[in-house]
Amino acid sequence: MELIIGWLYPNLMSTYGDRGNVICLQRRCQWRNIDVSIVSLDRAAGVESFDDVDIIVGGGAQDRQQEIVMRDLKGIKAEALRTKLESGTPGVFTCGSPQLLGHYYEPALGQRIEGLGLLDLVSKHPGVEAQRCIGNVVFEITASPLAEELQTMLGEKPIVIGFENHGGRTYLGKVSSLGKVIKGYGNNGEDKTEGAFYRNAIATYAHGPLLPKNPFLADWLIQKALQKKYQTDITLTKLQDELALAARKSMLQRLEFNDFKTKV
Amino acid sequence: MQLGDRVRLGLAVGVAKTVTAIVKSLRLGAASVLPGEISRRLHPRLLPLLFTQVSKGVILIVGTNGKTTTSLLLRTILEDQGYRVTHNASGANLINGLITALLANTNLTGKLTADYAILEVDENILPLVLKDCQPQYIVGLNLFRDQLDRYGEVDTISQRWQKAIHPLPKDTVIVLNADDPTLSYLGQQLEQKVVYFGLNEPQLYLEAIPHAVDSIYCPACGHLLDYQGVYLSHLGDYSCPSCGFSKSKTAVNSQEWSQILIGVYNKYNTLAAGLLAQEIGIDTNSIFETIKNFKAAFGRAEELDVEGKHVRILLSKNPVGMNETIRAVNDIKKAQKSSVTLLVLNDRIPDGTDVSWIWDVDTEELVKLGGTLVVSGDRVYDMALRLDYSKSEQDNHVELIVKEDLQDAIATALECSPQDETLHILPTYSAMLEVREILVGRKIL
Repeated sequence: MELIIGWLYPNLMSTYGDRGNVICLQRRCQWRNIDVSIVSLDRAAGVESFDDVDIIVGGGAQDRQQEIVMRDLKGIKAEALRTKLESGTPGVFTCGSPQLLGHYYEPALGQRIEGLGLLDLVSKHPGVEAQRCIGNVVFEITASPLAEELQTMLGEKPIVIGFENHGGRTYLGKVSSLGKVIKGYGNNGEDKTEGAFYRNAIATYAHGPLLPKNPFLADWLIQKALQKKYQTDITLTKLQDELALAARKSMLQRLEFNDFKTKV
Repeated sequence: MQLGDRVRLGLAVGVAKTVTAIVKSLRLGAASVLPGEISRRLHPRLLPLLFTQVSKGVILIVGTNGKTTTSLLLRTILEDQGYRVTHNASGANLINGLITALLANTNLTGKLTADYAILEVDENILPLVLKDCQPQYIVGLNLFRDQLDRYGEVDTISQRWQKAIHPLPKDTVIVLNADDPTLSYLGQQLEQKVVYFGLNEPQLYLEAIPHAVDSIYCPACGHLLDYQGVYLSHLGDYSCPSCGFSKSKTAVNSQEWSQILIGVYNKYNTLAAGLLAQEIGIDTNSIFETIKNFKAAFGRAEELDVEGKHVRILLSKNPVGMNETIRAVNDIKKAQKSSVTLLVLNDRIPDGTDVSWIWDVDTEELVKLGGTLVVSGDRVYDMALRLDYSKSEQDNHVELIVKEDLQDAIATALECSPQDETLHILPTYSAMLEVREILVGRKIL
C-alpha cells in the first residue's frame, strides 16, 4: 500500500512547527510498512498535483505569506482543493489555515481577506489592542461521526492537547465544530467551540504540532485515506506511543494542577 | 543637566543602590531588573538622561541571536584598551534592565562613570528606547523567528526598526549584517552612516536552505530571492531577480578574520563586534589580539571541567540557534571527540511557553550521527518525542535516555561521556541557568 501526502505551501505556511504533522504522518506510515511520499502543493506545483494526493496538510502562515498563498491558490487550484475535500479526501488544517478555508478573515488593520469558502465560518480580528488567544489548549472531539470513530479506536473519549496562538476569532455557521473546549480559548473564547469538521477535513487552531501529541488523529487520517484509496476496510497495526502518552499525561497533570490552584 | 534633574537622578540612584543591596543581601537574585523599575518611577525621563551621561557613547546591540556573545566580545575589546564599560546583564534587555545597568555605574550625585555603555536590547523594544534616547551606535545582528508567542512577525519588526531609526542624527553609526536580506534592505533605506559585515566564504555554504527559514522573499518587492549560497538559516549571498535588490557591500573581508569560540554563528558575532570596534577607532591588530584570547559568556559555548569530564554548554533557544549548535556538535562528533549530548527543554516565560519550535529544528541531523542522547527539562517528553520521530529506519544506533530530573540527567550524561571526549549540553534559556547552577554549584542570576 502507498499514500501520497500533499503539503500546502511548506515554506509559506509553516509558522509553528507545523511540519511536525507531516513528519508524524510520514513516520507512522513507514513504521507500518506503508509506502509514503510527500508532494509540495506550492507555487511551483501545477493544479494536476492535487489529483493524486491522498491526505492534505496545511499549517499556519504569517500575514504577508498568507496573502501570497491566497493569490496563488485562487481560481483553478482552489477549485481542485475544494473537489478533493468534497469527495472525502482526509485533510488536517492547523493554526491559521482554517481561516483560509472559511468565507473571509478580517484583520486588525487593512482590508478583509477573502477565503476559499470551503467551510461555513468567518474569522475576525477584534482590533490591535485586543489580546491574542495564547496558551495550552485542551478540547474534547465532539464532531460526528469523527468522535464515535475515535472513541471506538481509543476505547475512551478523544481528548486533544495542543497550543493555540491566534489574534483572530472564528465564528461557525452551519459547519459543525470539531470539539468542545475544556481548557483554553478555542475558536473565539466565547462559545466554547474549537475548530471545525467537514467531510473528512479537520480544521483547528491547535498546533503543538497537533498530530505527534495526538497520534490517534494521525492514525484516523491514515486509515481514512487508505480506505478511500483501496475501497476496503482497513485496521492499522498499533504502534508504541509511550513517549506521546507520557507527554500528554504530563501536560494534563500540569493543567489540572493549575485548575486546583485557581480554585484555592 | 539642570540642578533639579541632578537631585532627582541622585535620589533615583540612591534608591536603586539600596534596592540592589537589599535584593542581594536577601539572596533574592542578582538585582538586574528591579532597581531600574523602582527608580524609573522616581524619574520618568531617567533613561534618556543616563544616555547623555555616558562620556564616549552608547552602543545598542539588537538581533534575535548572538546579542550576549557580541556584547561580551565588544566589551572585552574596549576594556583591553583601558575604557570603562557598563553592560546590562544577559536577559535583562527590557527598559528596566537597561536602566539598572547604567545606574550601577552612577554615583549619588547623579554622575555616570562609564566611557561606553553596551546595551543588549530586546528586538521588540528598540522603537520604545529610540523614542526618547539617542545612542551613538547600533548593531543589528539578525532577525529570526523567536518566541512568536510573545511577539509578532519578522517582517513587522524590521519595519518598526526603520521607522524608529529614521529620526536619529545622521552621524549615528549603524552596523548591520549584510547577509540578512531584511537588515541589508533596512540599511539601504537609512540616511545614517551604515556599515555592513558579512561572510564571503562559499566553502561554508549549506547544502540546502534549512526548513526553519523566515525570510527568503525579497524585502523590497516580495519576489522569491535567488540564493547563490546560504551560510545559516536565511543568511547568505543573494539577489532579487525581479527588482535587482542585492546584498549590501561589506566593510570587512571575513577571510582575514579569525573567530571566537566555535560555530559559523560566532563568525558573525566576531565580525559584528570587530567592525564596530574599528568604527570607534580601535586598531585592527588590537582587536585581533582580544579575539585570540576571548573566553565565552556563560552558556554560550562555555566550557567547563566537571568531575574530570570536559563539558561545553551551547544555548539553544530557537530553531535557527539550535540548527547551528547541532551543526557545531556534529563537527565534533565526526572527529570522534563527542558521543554524548544532553538536551534540556523548558517552557517558562524566558524560554517561550510554546515548544512547537523544536519541530522546526533539523534534529534529524543530530540523530543521524548516532551516539547517546539524554533528554530532560519541563517538557522532557516533548523533546524525546521529537527525537524519536527524527530516527529514520537506519538510525537505530542512537540511544535515547529520558530523565525527568535534571540533576539525574546531568549525572547520567557525565557518566556516559568517555574521559577524553566532550559532553555537549543544549539547553533553552532557563534550562541553561539551571544546568549551570548544578554544574558550578551556585546561582548566577
